[in-house]
Amino acid sequence: MVQVEGLTKLYGEFTAVNDLSFSIQPGEVVGLVGPNGAGKTTTLRCLAGIIPPTRGTVRVGGHDIVSDAISAKKHLAFFTDEPRLFDYLTVWQHLNFVARIYQVTVYEKIGATLLDELELANKKDALPGELSRGMKQKLAIACGLLHSPRVIYFDEPLTGLDPYGIRRMKDSILKRARDGAAIIISSHLLHLVEEICTRLLILKNGQKIADGTMAEITKKFSEQSGDASLEEIFFRATSEPLAPPVLPLAPK
Amino acid sequence: MIAALFYLQYHSARNRLVARFKRLKQPKYLFGAIAGGIYFYFYFFRYLFRGYTGGGRQSVAAGIPPDYMPLFESLAALALFVIVVLSWLIPHERAALTFTEAEVSFLFPAPVTRRTLIHFKLIRSQLRILFSALLLTFFSRRFGGNVWIHAFGWWLILSTMNLHFLGASFTRTLLLDHGISNRLRRLLVFALVAGLATLVWLWAKATLPTVTSADTADFNSILHYTQQVLNTGPALCLLYPFHLLVRPFFAPDAATLLAALAPALLLFFLHYIWVVGSDVAFEEASLEASQKLAVRIAAVRAGNWQAARKNHKARRAWFKLAPKGPAATALLWKNLIGVGQIFSARLWIILIVVIVMVFAGFGGSTRAENISTMAGIIIAILLGYSLLIGPQLLRLDFRHDLPMADILKTFPLRGWQIALGEILAPVTVLAGFQWLLLLVGFGLVLFLPDKHESEMLAIGISAAVLLPALDFLMLLIPNAAVLLFPSWIQSGKDSPRGIEATGQRLIFAVGQLLVLVLALVPAALAFAAVYFLLKLALGPFMPVPFASLAAAIIVAAEAGFGVMLLGRLFDRFDVTEEPAS
Repeated sequence: MVQVEGLTKLYGEFTAVNDLSFSIQPGEVVGLVGPNGAGKTTTLRCLAGIIPPTRGTVRVGGHDIVSDAISAKKHLAFFTDEPRLFDYLTVWQHLNFVARIYQVTVYEKIGATLLDELELANKKDALPGELSRGMKQKLAIACGLLHSPRVIYFDEPLTGLDPYGIRRMKDSILKRARDGAAIIISSHLLHLVEEICTRLLILKNGQKIADGTMAEITKKFSEQSGDASLEEIFFRATSEPLAPPVLPLAPK
Repeated sequence: MIAALFYLQYHSARNRLVARFKRLKQPKYLFGAIAGGIYFYFYFFRYLFRGYTGGGRQSVAAGIPPDYMPLFESLAALALFVIVVLSWLIPHERAALTFTEAEVSFLFPAPVTRRTLIHFKLIRSQLRILFSALLLTFFSRRFGGNVWIHAFGWWLILSTMNLHFLGASFTRTLLLDHGISNRLRRLLVFALVAGLATLVWLWAKATLPTVTSADTADFNSILHYTQQVLNTGPALCLLYPFHLLVRPFFAPDAATLLAALAPALLLFFLHYIWVVGSDVAFEEASLEASQKLAVRIAAVRAGNWQAARKNHKARRAWFKLAPKGPAATALLWKNLIGVGQIFSARLWIILIVVIVMVFAGFGGSTRAENISTMAGIIIAILLGYSLLIGPQLLRLDFRHDLPMADILKTFPLRGWQIALGEILAPVTVLAGFQWLLLLVGFGLVLFLPDKHESEMLAIGISAAVLLPALDFLMLLIPNAAVLLFPSWIQSGKDSPRGIEATGQRLIFAVGQLLVLVLALVPAALAFAAVYFLLKLALGPFMPVPFASLAAAIIVAAEAGFGVMLLGRLFDRFDVTEEPAS
């Protein structure tokens, strides 16, 4: 569903992403992890067609994201860490707007169902300014899912959600995957990645340093035992100390 | 503790200044600073120490003529009185010293007394007041007088008023705490002001000579009468404290200033004691105010001035958006809802009612001819302004949506579709407004004795055809500019401020004008060609609509080409570039 070959993104002389290649099949949930500045968001933005890659190709549903962007983007949904909404459109107007953009003829039915699922039905006429952060996140999700995307990218999907929202979001991601969507989740929440991802892609300094199933990654980075936690694997893979340095006490 | 607050204030200001000087290394700021510096020099600074010569006229070194000084002083006092009354009448919220979110986080949990916080607020407001006093001095100095006296006068007025607003907000809060609601307080203030105004009116009626219709025709008589009302009797008593405050500003020399200084400073000091002595809990309201301020700042930095100005209200869409159809319409639909925040249906209804009433009022009036002519001139001016200023004011296009560019780029739309959709809303609103003006203008023609209906109709149709195409062109230029030079245009995060920002805007204004002139050359040629071809057969007026149509086609073709170009610019626009680095 998603094929990435030799993806490279340069900003002047700085290499944000370097020669990244991987592919994702329908139903797969891939966790994209790495320390700050590893190139996760840049990768997702390239995959979503928001920024053009400097080199390499990205194909979504068989369509090149650069040369056949329209066809590729029809299959896509990208959820940013900060919900991005139009401040003068109400909740329902957002759905109406997105429906026209993606030509979703039965949006009223799908939209109503999504709002019910996301507990936004009673906020139909509210503007984003009247919504809490979690509700804004839910609205962004409703907009993104309206056209039933086959490829979904999440950048820190749990930011700002309450425990109920987190549970619902995880269930929603897994349901979409079961329905055949290819999903990439970029997150620093390793327990989330461990819980719902079927595959892991670890980036560091814009380069892929590991790609495989949880079991394969665990095996690769476990020194003796094969039961290391994802946190331990992450630190080993990215060559960071296991625990953060202890701050010196202030002199009294 | 206050030393730490001084430290914070001093270093914040210093670092801000240093950052501004550092960014002059970038050509966009350097050229902006040069252009802004030239502008400010020619517009303000050169008058600072030598007065305004008014294009060769003798310098007004003495400032306001002495005969008018008491009147000007009284008018200034009256203006301050009105401002003070409004500060007691309008606000409804509890006292809130506006702090930034960082100040709230650091200072509110710290062991800082309420009085120290007030002092901090007063110190911080001094920066703003000094800057405002400087700017106002630039203005007032153009009309003569001593620059230092003006600067000091402005500082004293602004500082005292600042203290008064603060004190008033504290007192309003205390009144609320004592069960006196905003409504009751407003009623009492209104009753008091109405009573005082009645007293002044009754006194003027009883004491001063009656105003005749001949007096109202003579401007000097009106001034003399106003002076008499304000400078004698109850009005003088009422305005006396305000006279004391504005008197230093109007002092013609140092000696008069010194004489006027003591009472003005006493007023200032009394206000200070009032504010510092108030024991009002402002923290909670300040917290809320700081959050609102943060939202407003974020909105301004995102180029969304509309959002910064007021809370939005949900608006109905201008039309029903079907899920199938051209996708660009969705952007038009969306932006028209945004425009609805400015132009509500109520505003349109009021406009139409006013226009209908004006027409109804003209019926049979002997003055209809004069009024029609005057209204026609006003409409022509409005049309010109709508074409030149309208595209700068209606910014619900890329200039507004650029911070959402990453979202727009995820849409399965071609660049030109997004560009078209973005520009259509301001074009629609501007064209609608202009057509309404043209309709009104044509209606006015009917009231003229020598109507020239056919000629006016020809000109009106020409304008109706040409204006939307010109609007489109005028809107393309700033939209292309924002995509080409995102950091130069006021959009996106941390838009630049200061002299360099003014200079940048000037450079762009000149650039836009040049591009517009170039784009209009082919249209003008087409207009001229068609007009002169048809003139022989149709006379001087009838060819105008056909020539305009030809010009409009050329402009529309240019606009179409511009949309394609704008679409390509948007496709190439890199959202990861910091707009105002």
